[in-house]
Amino acid sequence: MSEPRAAILVVEDEPEIRRFLRASLGAEGYRVVEAASAERGVIDAGSHKPDMAIVDLGLPDLDGVEVIRRIRAWSPMPILVLSARVQERSKIDALDAGADDYITKPFGVGELLARVRVALRHLRRSAKGSPVLIFENAKVDLEKRLALRGNEPVHLTAIEFKLLACLAKHLGLVVTHRQLLTEVWGPTHAEDTHYLRVYLKQLREKLEADPSRPRHLLTEIGIGYRLLAEER
Amino acid sequence: MPALGYSARMSGYVWAVVATAACTIAGLALRPYIDPVNIAMLYLLPVVGMALRQSRGAAVAAAVLGVLTFDFLFVPPYLSFAVDDLQYVVTFATLLAVGLVVSSLAESARREAKARAAAALDAETERLRGTLLSSISHDLRTPLAIMSGASSSLVESGERMPQAERRALAQSIFEQSRAMADVMGNVLQMTRLETGAIAIKRDWASLAEIAGAVLDRLAARLAQHRVMLELPADLPLVRVDATLIEQVFGNLLENAATHTPAGTLVRLRAAREAGEVIVSVEDFGPGLAPEDFQRVFAKFHRHSSEGAGGGIGLGLSICRAIVLLHEGRIWAEQLPGGGSAFRFSLPLEQAPSPPEAEREAA
Repeated sequence: MSEPRAAILVVEDEPEIRRFLRASLGAEGYRVVEAASAERGVIDAGSHKPDMAIVDLGLPDLDGVEVIRRIRAWSPMPILVLSARVQERSKIDALDAGADDYITKPFGVGELLARVRVALRHLRRSAKGSPVLIFENAKVDLEKRLALRGNEPVHLTAIEFKLLACLAKHLGLVVTHRQLLTEVWGPTHAEDTHYLRVYLKQLREKLEADPSRPRHLLTEIGIGYRLLAEER
Repeated sequence: MPALGYSARMSGYVWAVVATAACTIAGLALRPYIDPVNIAMLYLLPVVGMALRQSRGAAVAAAVLGVLTFDFLFVPPYLSFAVDDLQYVVTFATLLAVGLVVSSLAESARREAKARAAAALDAETERLRGTLLSSISHDLRTPLAIMSGASSSLVESGERMPQAERRALAQSIFEQSRAMADVMGNVLQMTRLETGAIAIKRDWASLAEIAGAVLDRLAARLAQHRVMLELPADLPLVRVDATLIEQVFGNLLENAATHTPAGTLVRLRAAREAGEVIVSVEDFGPGLAPEDFQRVFAKFHRHSSEGAGGGIGLGLSICRAIVLLHEGRIWAEQLPGGGSAFRFSLPLEQAPSPPEAEREAA
């Protein structure tokens, strides 16, 4: 932890949920700013300038997606969304509106803290140059456009590199189908999910030790993909 | 639905006219052989018929039409409506009375049948509600009892407990709450599927990808079994709601893990057949009793061998509801070597146009 006192804004109307978030985030050394309503959350995001925000999607006064839009309008701070299982659709809307990741209620704090760490790491690394991604038994240098499996070079196509770079930009975070399609193929292909099915299969065959049980290029069913890898 | 009622009523009157006309023709044919008063009996037939099959109005119409026709054609003076004999007034009154009595009898019989059907439906609903309540109360009350016991122990005497003990209690609260969330999730999902509250959101999906994600999600649950994937590399994409199909995969795998001994094999397969893909989860456990092949998909069905831990019995009925939403079929089979197979089909659609081939710079 190079930033032991990172400040986290928690926008959640349920006091008991705020209580355990405050307790567990506080125990990890984070400073917690609490907002009980969406309006308050948007204001606190501006006045407290936290390092990241955790936003509940089921707020009574304003749609959580709207909170994300308003924060995103001026700040790149990582935003983690808390959603109930029935809010499948608004979860995707929240991610497309700029949220960086989500966690479904009920969740364990272990899961939450892992997401928070990834989000804060994302904040610190976004300034760095293109990384080298280390897989279980493959390595990809996105800058030099080189890929190795074991010690053998693997050929990745231009689109495969682009796709990987897009996932790597959000390393450890979920990237929606729409985001990937728009960034790699352009906005006219935003609905062509089958492109992703085809290319992710190719990438897994080239980079995963067991492509049928991927450990790096993970599927978030109905939402998008998540890349897990070490970087150097 | 006034329009439907109106046309149904009209068809009743049309039938009354048709039936009376048929009787008249028969009456004219029989006239040389029988008494006019007995011909009047013929006109009872359409009245009773209308009363039984159509409405009271149609029966009255048949009575009036019958008397008028009878009077006009068979009662002297012929071809006039004048009645010079009191006995024909009695005929008319009798026809009308028979029509009214029979139609009200038929009406009440119809009402009673409808009420009985409604009562049977209520009883079925009541039975399901009863099963639901007893399942829920067991599946939720046990974890609740554990959670309130464990948490109050922590509140009352946590400070005097060794740390390992405190941790174990907290851990069990966490696990029980997770189990409860699963039960609630299943009940809610079933309710949503049954009330049509789920809009299925189809998109191109890869079954291999869904399988990979499910095995990841259920890694802990399937840790005691050997899971084997047999998915052909050229399996076509399917247009499904991947979130729902993921649940089908998951529920079938969990079902297999629950009902077979640790260490046995669970095989997840898919194969393309004419116009569809068949997905199978095969296990090598004790298999199903023949009477269970259909029953397993019913709501709240639990294997007779199952104790308390078998879950609420909604997993497979959720699978069935989801597969039906996708216009597929789902069934169970006995495997030749023992063990059982749960299979479902998903219709294949015209494949989407593939991404443009990349032109590679050398």
